[in-house]
Amino acid sequence: MPGPDLQQELQNAPPEPLLPVEKKLIGWSLGIGLALLVVLLLVSRFVPASL
Amino acid sequence: MSVTAETAGWSTTAEPRPWITEDWLSVWIGLGIFALALGWLWGVDLLGWVVTTSVWIDPSQALGTFSKAYGQLGGPGALAVTYLALLAVLTAGARVLGLDLRRFAIAFTAVFAFAYASWIIGSYAYVAVVTPADQQKFGIGWSLKLTNEGGYVVALLLGLIIANFFPRLAEWLKEAIRPELYIKIAIVILGAFLAVTAAGRLTLATSLLWRGIAAIIEAYLIYWAVVYYIARKWFGFNREWAAPLASGISICGVSAAIAVGGAIRARPIVPVMVSSLVVIFAVVEVLILPFLAQSFLWQEPMVAGAWMGLAVKTDGAAVAGGGITESLILAKAAAEGIRYQPGWILGVTATVKVFIDIFIGIWAFVLGYIWTRHINPTQDGARVGEIWQRFPKFIIGFVLTFVVGLALALGTPTEISSRLPAAIGEANTFRVIFFILTFFSIGVLSDFKRLWQEGIGKLAAVYVLSLFGFVIWVGLIISWLFFAGVKPPLAS
Repeated sequence: MPGPDLQQELQNAPPEPLLPVEKKLIGWSLGIGLALLVVLLLVSRFVPASL
Repeated sequence: MSVTAETAGWSTTAEPRPWITEDWLSVWIGLGIFALALGWLWGVDLLGWVVTTSVWIDPSQALGTFSKAYGQLGGPGALAVTYLALLAVLTAGARVLGLDLRRFAIAFTAVFAFAYASWIIGSYAYVAVVTPADQQKFGIGWSLKLTNEGGYVVALLLGLIIANFFPRLAEWLKEAIRPELYIKIAIVILGAFLAVTAAGRLTLATSLLWRGIAAIIEAYLIYWAVVYYIARKWFGFNREWAAPLASGISICGVSAAIAVGGAIRARPIVPVMVSSLVVIFAVVEVLILPFLAQSFLWQEPMVAGAWMGLAVKTDGAAVAGGGITESLILAKAAAEGIRYQPGWILGVTATVKVFIDIFIGIWAFVLGYIWTRHINPTQDGARVGEIWQRFPKFIIGFVLTFVVGLALALGTPTEISSRLPAAIGEANTFRVIFFILTFFSIGVLSDFKRLWQEGIGKLAAVYVLSLFGFVIWVGLIISWLFFAGVKPPLAS
């Protein structure tokens, strides 16, 4: 297994700025995720779990 | 190295591919055990010889057979027959996977011995007994109150000791250290057990399934985005490392890291290194979180179960952690005079984990599409067929045993359905044995020292920050929001 090589690679990797497509991916994921959680939460309040 | 491409269930291109994957093998073994156990429904007891362990103070009382029909075997006989049966089945499996059969058989013998010895130790009354009444029954004044499932923790600790202090022994055991195979077989069997549990309370089970959807959203859309951002922006990882790392921490550990690594065309070493971290931190979580859940969440058992599924990465550690959490919480509740029906807490953990697993292929495809079309445009673009290729097949086995179990429980005459709990209980005894093998194997894979020597401290830093600073607590909040107030049925 690569020991020192891997360490060096991780330490010296050239910076890769976030691309617009990555920013979109992060933004849309969080936005859709939070919105869906709110919807699910509301639904679960209207349909409570029962035995 | 603690996790290799091989142990992570990933064939490197230089090796000939076996005709069946470890994933499919787990489905067939799990279904085989399930099918044989169903013989009980028609009065044919095919698996009653399987060994069971009771809480003991006198070692001669520790072991027995599941079924009285095989009682003449005695405890040691049942243990020997169970070992031989598992050895035969798994060695046949090793053959189709193209492993070295002699090495596998020898290593499995040792793995089974270590793992089952841990289970027996975990059932020692001073370790397992929970209630004062049981202490009196065994004539002891104190106990660790770990329940008999404390044997899982003993197996994990024994594995960790071997990995970190006896590396040559760990290397010698390697051929049979297959936590992914063992836990997937266990999960296939678990489907039937959960079906029998759910059949008695279908409305509750349905509402729990509905709440499980929250786990998918949380893992894929919230955890992933935040961890990816942290890895890229705060720690300066490039995309090749950040995507598998975020997937490993957020979704389902080893499987997700490997699926996403392949989808974005990362070098094989990247998901393998991430998998190492996942396994090690999962071990740390399993040693801590169930006990925290017992202390702080025993009055909200379903929250605790969901929390294990959301916070502990890798199927093995999460589902097994759910098992420990269930036994600890049931014990604590019993001490307070509340006797919950077993199976529900573990059921929530497994549901959450399986729901998350289902979407690994789709998520890998989405990322693969973005990477190969927009980030690193290549001729080798992501294909829709990769969704099926990366789909965890053991889920098919889980769903199949769940559906068949439910159909048998609800759609057969009473004389048949009344025998179902015993039949599934027989299969479930094997599930427990595969859990024990999983715990021991995870421990043996967790060589903390060698991991550090390989210089992935920076990866570990992202993992620590994301897991302990975000994933665990957001998982707790979401579990609380969706499962608080939902209680398991009381035991009749």
